[in-house]
Amino acid sequence: MANLKDLKTRINSVKSTQKITSAMKMVAAAKLRRAQEAAEASRPYSSRMQQVISGLASNASKATAPALLVGREIVKTHLLIVVSADKGLCAGFNGSIARQARIEIKRLENEGKSVLLYMVGRKAADNLSREIADKTFARIENLQGSGIDYNKVGEVAEKILHGFENNSFDSVSIIYNQFVNAITQNVVVAPLIPAQIEENNSESGASNYEYEPDENELLEQLLPRNVTTQIYGALLESSAAELAARMTAMDNATRNAGDMIDRLTLVYNRTRQANITKELIEIISGAEAL
Amino acid sequence: MANAIKIELVTLSEMLFSDSAEMVIIPGSEGLFGVLPRHAATLANLQRGKLDVYNGGSITRRFMIDGGVADVTPERVIILAERAVDLDAVSTQQLDQKVVAATDAEAAFINAVKQAI
Repeated sequence: MANLKDLKTRINSVKSTQKITSAMKMVAAAKLRRAQEAAEASRPYSSRMQQVISGLASNASKATAPALLVGREIVKTHLLIVVSADKGLCAGFNGSIARQARIEIKRLENEGKSVLLYMVGRKAADNLSREIADKTFARIENLQGSGIDYNKVGEVAEKILHGFENNSFDSVSIIYNQFVNAITQNVVVAPLIPAQIEENNSESGASNYEYEPDENELLEQLLPRNVTTQIYGALLESSAAELAARMTAMDNATRNAGDMIDRLTLVYNRTRQANITKELIEIISGAEAL
Repeated sequence: MANAIKIELVTLSEMLFSDSAEMVIIPGSEGLFGVLPRHAATLANLQRGKLDVYNGGSITRRFMIDGGVADVTPERVIILAERAVDLDAVSTQQLDQKVVAATDAEAAFINAVKQAI
């Protein structure tokens, strides 16, 4: 049986781990509320934008519409934006992103396309580092610290649009964790270029649009803005989902640490009693021998 | 209501206004234009300017928007703006505080808002 001092040390170390995990849980919970509000507040904008774009796309003719809207005819290279967290300790959050990214890469390669990756956040990039060495288009970290800066997202989007114009790739999609609620996150793969077209667009019949100024000029401004908006929305969702995942993970960790402390305390007490009994026996048998 | 049009003013961070009104004046990139119910479906680029909501023949809500796009159909208008401010709900002091941390583009917008109040 382990000696008392070792057990005491062990219990103390688990206790301090528990303190850390419970503090992390509190921090994540506090941040989550803000992140969740931000993610939910941005949904109307991106969904309205999506509505406008898909109305446009369903009316656009393939020949004349800009490639950002309807896509290129031949897709040789596909850019995958993989959004993960910069930090770990959030259960399956980064793992599920990496797994989905792997599946997508395989699927696209089976279709005969080559794949480029834009890695947002450190964790998935580390996880996939061996597979993606020759595929990385760009990496960015520290984008999702406290609050996501729309201007920085604009720079990311610009780089992507630039790459698209230079024919570095012909289509783009984004993989991220969508925030559902505090215990559920969904891994989503959403197309960015060409724009996503919603089926059964209820308004598509009525949209014989007039454009002001002309159609091309308007689309030239609207489509890049849409790309930025969708990336921004995905990042907000992802950071809310990350905090939710971390909160749940740390809650579990705290509870597990509590269980472990209980078990160790039991062993500690038994050992202590056994020691006392042993000492008593020694004293009594010593006295009897006299 | 047959003589009202549904208006939604959405920014990146919030739904700033969502209600029915008689008319809305929108700062299009080619100039101001008014939208009444049964307006032809239009997609318009916007520039920085004032967006006025009319009810009963007079302005009931005033906003300042910093560009964006308006999606008009006969029944509704959706205005998507990256930045927008409710002119009746801000004070010069608040704006002064914001301008400190703002980027150039934001600062220019805030100054325009100050003049419009």
